[in-house]
Amino acid sequence: MVPVANRPLLEYVVEAVAAAGIDRVILVVGYRQERIRNHFGDGDDWDITIEYVQQATQLGTGHAVLQAEPVIDDSFIVLNGDRIVEHSVIATVQNRMHDGETPVMAVTPTERPREYGVVTLDDNRVIDIDEKPAGPVMTNRINAGVYGFSPAIFDDIRETDVTGELTITATLNELADIADGVAAVNYDGRWLDVSNLWDVLSVNAALIHDRTNREGSAADGDENSSSSSVAVADDVALADNVRLGPNVTVGGSTAIGENATIAANAVIENTVVFPDAVIGAGAVVRDAVVASNARVGPNVTIAGGPATVVVDDAVHRNVEFGGVVGDNATVGGGATLTDGAVVGDNVRAAAGVVIDERVESDAVVRRG
Amino acid sequence: MCGIVGYIGTAGVGRDGNEATDGAVSASVGEIVHEGLHNLEYRGYDSAGVALVGASSGLTVAKRSGEVDALTVPDLPEATHGIGHTRWSTHGPPTDANAHPHTDCVEDVAVVHNGIVENHETLKAELADHEFTSDTDTEVIPHLLEEALAADPGIDLLEAIQRVESRLEGSYAICAVREDDDRIVVARRGSPLVVGRGEASSFVASDVTAFLEHTRDVMYLEDGDVASVGADAVSVYHDGERVERSVETVTWEADAAEKGGYDHYMRKEIHEQPEALRQTLAGRLDVDAGDVDLDVSFPPGFLADVEEIQIVACGTSNYAGRYAAQLFEELSGVRATVEIASEYEFGAGRTPDRTLVVAVTQSGETADTLGAVRRANAAGARTFAVTNTLGSTVTREVDGTAFIRAGPEIGVAATKTFASQVATLVMLAVAIGRNRGALAASDARDVLEDLRGLPGAVQQVLDDEEHVREAAREYGDSEAFFFIGRELGVPVALEGGLKLKEISYDHAEGFAAGELKHGPLALVTPNTPVLAVLTEGGRATETMNNVTEAQTRGAPALGCISAGSKYDTLDVSFEVPDVGVVEPLVANVYLQLFAYHVANNKGRDIDKPRNLAKSVTVE
Repeated sequence: MVPVANRPLLEYVVEAVAAAGIDRVILVVGYRQERIRNHFGDGDDWDITIEYVQQATQLGTGHAVLQAEPVIDDSFIVLNGDRIVEHSVIATVQNRMHDGETPVMAVTPTERPREYGVVTLDDNRVIDIDEKPAGPVMTNRINAGVYGFSPAIFDDIRETDVTGELTITATLNELADIADGVAAVNYDGRWLDVSNLWDVLSVNAALIHDRTNREGSAADGDENSSSSSVAVADDVALADNVRLGPNVTVGGSTAIGENATIAANAVIENTVVFPDAVIGAGAVVRDAVVASNARVGPNVTIAGGPATVVVDDAVHRNVEFGGVVGDNATVGGGATLTDGAVVGDNVRAAAGVVIDERVESDAVVRRG
Repeated sequence: MCGIVGYIGTAGVGRDGNEATDGAVSASVGEIVHEGLHNLEYRGYDSAGVALVGASSGLTVAKRSGEVDALTVPDLPEATHGIGHTRWSTHGPPTDANAHPHTDCVEDVAVVHNGIVENHETLKAELADHEFTSDTDTEVIPHLLEEALAADPGIDLLEAIQRVESRLEGSYAICAVREDDDRIVVARRGSPLVVGRGEASSFVASDVTAFLEHTRDVMYLEDGDVASVGADAVSVYHDGERVERSVETVTWEADAAEKGGYDHYMRKEIHEQPEALRQTLAGRLDVDAGDVDLDVSFPPGFLADVEEIQIVACGTSNYAGRYAAQLFEELSGVRATVEIASEYEFGAGRTPDRTLVVAVTQSGETADTLGAVRRANAAGARTFAVTNTLGSTVTREVDGTAFIRAGPEIGVAATKTFASQVATLVMLAVAIGRNRGALAASDARDVLEDLRGLPGAVQQVLDDEEHVREAAREYGDSEAFFFIGRELGVPVALEGGLKLKEISYDHAEGFAAGELKHGPLALVTPNTPVLAVLTEGGRATETMNNVTEAQTRGAPALGCISAGSKYDTLDVSFEVPDVGVVEPLVANVYLQLFAYHVANNKGRDIDKPRNLAKSVTVE
């Protein structure tokens, strides 16, 4: 579970659902579901009931919805677990569902429509959803990932004619062509998405900013700092039991998770550090994501700043992104990460290496 | 070993629309008592029963052998209070007649009891004209109450209990109700009993988990207390004098004791270990100073002069003690021994005021361990407890306590509490070593950094569960399982064997690896897998030689190895992240998962294995 401002992203989604007055939530879980179950339990902390259904193999969003069919017998709302929305849009979709059986989807404007499903509307009716269109687009309205369905959707998903992944949007595109179609509701509120790794940084910054505005300094944990020479910016979220060594500097828009260690003289800025991670003495870590239990060695440099990142042949220019260190990965002393390097889970990188691209999980990186 | 619950209050009134009660309590008295029994089911589950009292219905008893679910609680909306019991047999087999509550001859008084009335034979002989219907020691109590009430009709149930209580020998927590009496009367000596205070309602139970969803305000009774529990007030008496017992607030969450989407508490608790360990360590490690902030308040100079640390514990806690004893010697520079609590005597040749006795008990109520603490106290030794349970009996009998802060553990097979016990004891070893000047700050720092790495390392092992599941599928149907290790790997091998036999009912044994060739090797065949601890802190190379001895006899070999090392001959390797002296503790998580999946594939009742109970409050 990816933490932003030291709480799992999914928790913000669950909170919005609870705030919209919905008291039963079904989480479709797959990868590392135990962590999710541990965190959310039966939902008592949110005064809702949480149930779990398992999606054994990830065959698309439509397939995920199908897994919930045995426990659903009435209209329901579907949300993506990695997109933060306000509770108002959930309530709006829910209200619209009272009008009938027609599927409902929320659409929202964005600055980067081509990275999402661009929705063409006729009044409030969906005409077409074009996933990540290659050419110019006529609208900046995209699929917000909040849907209202009746149980009829399960048959519709099964009958969808697709090759490859069974996505909800494929089903909705088919339904858009027939009589009742798909209804759209407009949403202009906050919409935060982490489909790209570096989005974690901006979402984290936005949520810390919220909290700082609300409560003053966001640094509320019982950090275990033995030194008065530590400098921590106001817009930093420190979890409980974080250890900050002497002369550590923690710059703005940074979140540091429970039981993480930042050793002496390290400089951390605009970074998300997950629980149990260790950042060594003298390291400079900027615009980065350091995942659970990762070990960043002494004097490692993740310089940050604008980078050109290539993901699956798509080139993303000018993103503020220093790099990622995956779960349990070890980066040796004095190593350098540049250009949005992604070090996979469990990678062991030797001292002094320079990493400027993606390193697959479980790999070993040596100096050549 | 049994669970007691009682409720008195305005439940059920609201149901008839007469009077609104506080929202949380809207079920009937019977339903609340039944639900409390469910919450306590881990304490015993071979019979259950309730007694309900109402103004017009009088006293109604329902009881039977079998699990709590099998019990039908009478639907009496007008009942005002009730008591319940879930039993784990000590005297007499699990039958309907032996189930609690027990009553007197005329069914005027009903009693539930946890513990043992040691002089029940003598008392029974004195009650020759009474009609006994069960084989239990408990049944003498209602008949004694009947005698007391008949002898002096002026007294009430409270006074009757005070008179009877002085005649009972042994340990007990008693809860009694009487027809036409509007209170529950309780007595405690040696067995746990807590009182919960809600709004216009009160609860009594062996353990706060019974009523945590209703109230968090708890009064812990002390040994020898007798209390009269009403909906609005609780009066406590000690030696006949009215005393006050303070009300404390329980902070942990009730839902932490629910399964939260897992099939079994045990698997949930295995997966809670990273969080439990973070709680155990939180705020206690000062890595820069190389010290531990553990509230160890001994008189100045005591630790400097201490000659021996004796750890007393049973079962899994004993193995946690064995792990720690090696570190007490290494880090604290003190001779350390581990005793099985039931066998413990303060032996000759020791100076009591230079001996520290450390009792390790999850529940703080383990009768064998309490007995050992009492023998140590009697001998004049200084005593210390490492426990998970605030307010438990052991904490009141020792000179100091360290809480492991693992959160409630419901599965009978201990998992997360073992990890938290070891982590707490390692901190204690560092604290004592630093206090004595036996441990350099830099050496302490290495250990503390390993401890800080523990939660993440355990999480990494949990993420590898699929690998263990496969191994359990492949090797689960073997004839026997042998667990071996050296040094810190020995307690882990013992614990691995215990865990597997507890929940899968398979033959499983742990050995010091070097002992294999001195006997147990005779049992090794191609159908007896050997599971070995081959990590740092476990003298891996030597242990591997013993693994090879077993492999030569055809046994499959599964090993927990340090990250980066490689043993080509192992059939299965489980990789343990680099965390120094706690690597064997992390290896143990693989063995827990292995035990779980072997037992689960066999369809065992994992959270309530046959014949076992969670907190063993009998000797």
